[in-house]
Amino acid sequence: MRTIALAGLVLLWTAWAAAIPGPAAAPPPQPATVAPPSDLAAGDTPNDAGQSISLTWRPSPDEALGVEGYEILRAESAEGPYAKVGYVPSGFGSFDDQAVPRDGRDFFYRVRAVGAGIAPSEVAAAGPARSSQQWYNAARTNALVGTLLFTLIVIYFIQGARRGRHLFIRRIAGLAAVEEAVGRATEMGKPILFCPGMDPVTSISTLAALNILGQVAKKAAEYDTPLVVPNRDPIVYTVAEAIVKEAYAEIGRPDAYNHDSVFYLTDSQMGYTSGVNGIMARERPATNFFMGYFYAESLVLAETGAATGAIQIAGTDSITQLPFFITACDYTLMGEELYAASAYLGKQPMLIGTLKAQDWSKALVGLLLVAGAALALSGPGLRQFVLRLLSID
Amino acid sequence: MTMSTDPWVWLAALLSLFIFSYLYKDNPLFKFAEHLFTGLSVGYLIVIYYNNIVRSYLLNPVLADHRWVLLVPFAIGLLYLFRFIPKLSHLMLIPIAITLGIWNGIALPLTIEADIIRQMQGTMINTSMFRNPWDPYTGLAVGILIAVGVICTITYFFFSREHKGALKVSAHIGIWFVMIGFGASFGYTVMARVSLLIGRLQFMFTEWIHLIK
Amino acid sequence: MKQKLPLLIVLVLGIFFTIQFFVPSRASEVTYQTTLQWWLVMSSFAMVLALGSLINHHALKIKRRKEGWWNSWVTLAGIAVMGGLGILGGPSFRMGWANDAYTRLFLFVQAPMDSAMFAILAFYMASASYRAFRARSREATVLLVSGFVVMLGIIPFGAMLWHRIPDIAEWVMMVPNMASKRGILFGIGLGATATALKIILGIERSWLGGGGK
Repeated sequence: MRTIALAGLVLLWTAWAAAIPGPAAAPPPQPATVAPPSDLAAGDTPNDAGQSISLTWRPSPDEALGVEGYEILRAESAEGPYAKVGYVPSGFGSFDDQAVPRDGRDFFYRVRAVGAGIAPSEVAAAGPARSSQQWYNAARTNALVGTLLFTLIVIYFIQGARRGRHLFIRRIAGLAAVEEAVGRATEMGKPILFCPGMDPVTSISTLAALNILGQVAKKAAEYDTPLVVPNRDPIVYTVAEAIVKEAYAEIGRPDAYNHDSVFYLTDSQMGYTSGVNGIMARERPATNFFMGYFYAESLVLAETGAATGAIQIAGTDSITQLPFFITACDYTLMGEELYAASAYLGKQPMLIGTLKAQDWSKALVGLLLVAGAALALSGPGLRQFVLRLLSID
Repeated sequence: MTMSTDPWVWLAALLSLFIFSYLYKDNPLFKFAEHLFTGLSVGYLIVIYYNNIVRSYLLNPVLADHRWVLLVPFAIGLLYLFRFIPKLSHLMLIPIAITLGIWNGIALPLTIEADIIRQMQGTMINTSMFRNPWDPYTGLAVGILIAVGVICTITYFFFSREHKGALKVSAHIGIWFVMIGFGASFGYTVMARVSLLIGRLQFMFTEWIHLIK
Repeated sequence: MKQKLPLLIVLVLGIFFTIQFFVPSRASEVTYQTTLQWWLVMSSFAMVLALGSLINHHALKIKRRKEGWWNSWVTLAGIAVMGGLGILGGPSFRMGWANDAYTRLFLFVQAPMDSAMFAILAFYMASASYRAFRARSREATVLLVSGFVVMLGIIPFGAMLWHRIPDIAEWVMMVPNMASKRGILFGIGLGATATALKIILGIERSWLGGGGK
């Protein structure tokens, strides 16, 4: 009786198992064999710190038959033993082995196609290959040429300025208005607010903002108008404080400097914004400067300032925030104008010389764009040349 | 309609309202929230500084691994504190000079590469544009339009010449491009900001006042 | 001497790190990484100064009994509580209760105020749009029109008005917008590079105080 029941159960189970399609019922698959990848090449990764070998291969022609990826194996001799050092999914034909144990030693590589439904393919082999470090990054030659060229142009114009050549600078409305803005705060007996941007001192726009702060502080010291400089970055705070203090000393009024005028607020973006909002609402500065790099808070700062009726001058190279400053501020220094400000306000010939250098470099950029287009369109060889000239890895 | 009984949720909701109240006008509740915000965020920054920098890069390596060499940057950092001694306050300039040297050096070639060469690369007219010259994104006509826009925009930023004659025309076209670009940024940002507001309102009406299920 | 040493430091480090950009070797990479670590250790002292400044700022308000002076106590307490709890609860002391309180303060007090401030952006966006709308100049009109088109392109309503609007918005973003941004970036790149160069070469010295005199 029990045997029959058991046999019945087995029968039932077999019938059920056979009825549902799927791997449980399917016959064991014949592992397909696929053609291996070919043309494996191994060589030192260029322009790096060493201990990396780059591999390239031509993918298996049978990728469609179930190849899921390629296994990369490495050994210290051609015979092995080989150990797996990497895997890339199918469709790719390159791999950088960045864990090469030592530079200058021979290594051998094998690559094979693998997949769940197939037997691993035969291998493609390459080697020996050696990794090494480079002392010059050839991929950055264009940046090197650019840096040297620009440095030379700047030095040339500074030399010219030193020799007393007169350099013309056109009027920049936002900067011409600085004097007027400081004057207005003085007349109204209200303070001047200066925000040196949201970026740390590591960002050059912050340094540009601090250069402007120096000029504004001198004017504020001259007119004896209180200055309020809230900071977001600790190092920017220390530099800003030194600059303002020195500006008062230079005008000959070191005693007028108020130690509390430059202070640290907070690092939190929105915490800083709420703090500055508070200052604008309570101290009612007559003039607001927003100089440096800004993020989303630009909108809150500029709109709040506009609502308090302050005259506002903004300057930023943050392209996404410029539209908000432009709509809410009386004057906005756009992009490069922020960097031109310290030369414009300081009126020192050497600083103006660099502005001239910037202009010539811009003209050069425009010229290169036109010339490059002409070259690229004139023939495939020249096109390759232009592409190489501008390629960045 | 029910309301949350979690005091922390209440705190969060009330403080959010205090911040919102600034939209009406500056008031004692906003002032309180603003000062609390400043305090907590600075406290938070101190914790980050202590745990992630002082502890990881100074205390642990020196005390546990005896990497005494790290006392060198520590000592240079101490120079910042000379600010409080008027006669020696100029020593503070040394760590500042180190900072400026490092970061300006890093920025110089990097900016040339990212802002100049990469942008030139993107602007360059090339033969692939011939394939479909009137394609609105990759065609030759658009390539020329972009190049003209870029060059005119550059001329707007010429400082050493008065905007007169050809330069005036080109700078004027440039400023039009600039304004179209700023408008695009503006319009693009509107929706992003509205979604931030929706996110906050969702908190108020789901977790605090259970109005939305 | 007071100014010469900082200027020399900036010059040497500036040139070194400019060159470092072009040298990929191991020694160069290790120097770069080590310098950044050292810089972090050194810079943590600036935080001490910054904290001193903030405490001084509020202590003065309390001392002078400025309007709403008691709020300054809120800031000072916030710094002490958040900083204290975070350090006690952190990996150095591992006090569970402190870490718990610190996390709650962050999640239910600091973070909500942060999000609320962000949410306020939507309201300011509205007032900024109104301001743009009122602007009379031709440039401002260009900005407004382009902004309006792009905004319509993003919201479903735009496509309902005319099915081509999203395409036009996308084209404005990808072509004229792109051209103007590239043009501006060239200027920014050159301006930033020139500023970095001026600081490295010691031509721009306002950071030393004295405006370069």
